[in-house]
Amino acid sequence: MMKCLLRRSVFFGSALVALFFLCSGIAFSQGLEAEISMEENIPTEEGLTVKYIDGNVNLDDAHTTLGRHAEPYKLELQMQDKAFPNGGGSVKEVEVRSFHNGETIFFRISWNDESKNEWTIEHAQFRDAVGLMFPLEEVKEISPEKPFSPRMGDRGKPVNIWHWKADWEHDLNADGGYIHMEDQYPNMWHDFDSDPNPCLFNKEVHDSADLMAGGIAAGSLLSLPRGRAVEDLNAVGFGTLTSQQNQDVNGTGEWKNGKWDVVIYRPLTTEDENDVQFVPGTSTFFNMAVWNGKEGDRNGQKNISIRWRPLTLEAAK
Amino acid sequence: MTLVHNWHLGRTMEYPYFESRPEHQFAAVFNTNRCIACQTCTMAHKSTWTYSKGQEYMWWNNVETKPYGGYPQHWDHKILQLLWDNGNNPMEWYTSAEDKDETKAPYGLYNGDTIFELAKTKGLNQVAVGYVPDDKEWRFPNIYEDTASSEQTNYETEAVKESSELPEHKRWFFYLQRICNHCTYPACLAACPRKAIYKRKEDGIVLIDQKRCRGYRKCVEQCPYKKPMYRGETRMSEKCIACFPRVEGKDPITKGRRMEARCMAACVGKIRLNGLLSGDYKKPDPKNPMDWMIHIHKVALPLYPQFGTEPNVYYIPPRWAPRGYLRQMFGPGVDEALDKYAAPSRTLMAVLQLFRTTQTMFARFEVEDGPKIYESEIMGKKVEVYDDTVIGYASDGTEMVRIKVEEPTWESDEKRMVTY
Repeated sequence: MMKCLLRRSVFFGSALVALFFLCSGIAFSQGLEAEISMEENIPTEEGLTVKYIDGNVNLDDAHTTLGRHAEPYKLELQMQDKAFPNGGGSVKEVEVRSFHNGETIFFRISWNDESKNEWTIEHAQFRDAVGLMFPLEEVKEISPEKPFSPRMGDRGKPVNIWHWKADWEHDLNADGGYIHMEDQYPNMWHDFDSDPNPCLFNKEVHDSADLMAGGIAAGSLLSLPRGRAVEDLNAVGFGTLTSQQNQDVNGTGEWKNGKWDVVIYRPLTTEDENDVQFVPGTSTFFNMAVWNGKEGDRNGQKNISIRWRPLTLEAAK
Repeated sequence: MTLVHNWHLGRTMEYPYFESRPEHQFAAVFNTNRCIACQTCTMAHKSTWTYSKGQEYMWWNNVETKPYGGYPQHWDHKILQLLWDNGNNPMEWYTSAEDKDETKAPYGLYNGDTIFELAKTKGLNQVAVGYVPDDKEWRFPNIYEDTASSEQTNYETEAVKESSELPEHKRWFFYLQRICNHCTYPACLAACPRKAIYKRKEDGIVLIDQKRCRGYRKCVEQCPYKKPMYRGETRMSEKCIACFPRVEGKDPITKGRRMEARCMAACVGKIRLNGLLSGDYKKPDPKNPMDWMIHIHKVALPLYPQFGTEPNVYYIPPRWAPRGYLRQMFGPGVDEALDKYAAPSRTLMAVLQLFRTTQTMFARFEVEDGPKIYESEIMGKKVEVYDDTVIGYASDGTEMVRIKVEEPTWESDEKRMVTY
């Protein structure tokens, strides 16, 4: 009897679901993402003002200049629960300051993190990271009538994302600009680092090592020394994050006393059509996400600010 | 989530994507009874694909000793524990005649949760239950090699006097050969938040796009078989690629015909047969050796079908291991499969000869009748062996192999023996 019921429920259940989706025409695979709420399209009232500071700014001074001149703006963060895989929730708040000097825009971001996670060699090692997101094109208004998805943009509404990664910072400071396996495992033996035995040496095999190395052969920025700690990306929704051909964003991060302090900067305008362009005296929006490596945060498992924040650039005087 | 049919479970189940079966499905049959754990398959794989830096502990093919061994350590125990913990009919099967269907539910009806369903039951924030194995678990690929399980080791039971008598040995172990299962419903593919993993329409091979992968390790976390692996050196995950250039026929040796994967072709014990399943599981081709063994004769069974991914590497279970353990590992089809293997039919006897006779994949086989050469009784069942001839054909119809059931032997004459 129970078995019969189970079979029937399976049959009728699938028929019902099929009918529903035939009517609605929604792709099943998108069922893993919750529908956008009204609130997500209402930006906060308060925003971040990008101060104008006259003159050249030395990067070494950027930390202090930012600390001295720019007011901190606090964003509350929450767990990402809009799309699978959900996660995050361990970082509650992030502080951001910003200024520009007519040429370059600087952001100083700080948040509390008890542990410094900058290794990504082992299976279970995940990095700390922070992301800044801007609508790629000029957006004057975001509202339920004029929506712009805070979930990494949408089809036809691309975003530009600047992603600082603790492991890239770690790579940057390493010899050769890249952390290798032997840095994690100093006693490891590797066939291609030693003088091959001339009797057994197979040049073809030796030379094919790089070709066979997935990410290296594919030319991925993740797998090669890239000389920077911030990645310049675009997206049109969750799961579409794509690294840019031209990497224009730079930055440095420092972990001290249970706190990350990261400076990210880029020229106000660039030649790249995939980059957001900043014009002093105008405003746009931004959004943030923080990843806590200790908690296994990566991809959608992150702490997010959800609602767009206005970003206003002071006019150059 | 959508509802898809999983014929291993004999029912529909939840999966994040629509049911979309490939035109052909890469598949293999491993005869565990024949394996000697020489690890030639493991080394064939290693020397072909994962000899570079960061892949030191990456074994896309491995052979482990069951019940204790596992790579990564305890992978199956951990997933089974997760499934067991659902508290609601854990891993229960209905196997009466009315629960079975020749093609759609050949083993019966699975009433427990799959890894996908359990994630939903538990309200987890991901598509399936799983975990990321740490360094310690990957470190010993052949731990507990040849370690037998024995009732003697159990203080609650009396010492076993005779430990090696069929149908079940009291002291036992067996070798389990493992590669990526190129599942019909891959958990790695479902888990990837970037859709960097795809299943090829032409042959069902599951691949990670190294241009799209960002090393999040969701695939590592959610594949229940733990076959995608993270490579620290490139900050990305990699997995078994089923030697797809060979499967496509790019290797000149087979003259453009589909070729078996490296681990299959290297098998010394002749335990492996690699080929493509027909796309429609409801209409198996009785002349395709893979279809015949898996769908029609049902002598080869999936590994842990209850996980719900519909894996495509099939195993002829070891005859001597306890049935309860085997049913947990290969599903309720074990008894039927072992009965058929212990007292093989004429066709099975013929098809078993095809294993490891050529590197070319067979698309079709024919059997020509021969004389009866042997008769016996096995487990109370009459067995007759005929010296039939089996002929294997490639997909283009070329005859690749013609072999008899009885291995041809040659005996020296007396004179010659004397000279030696």
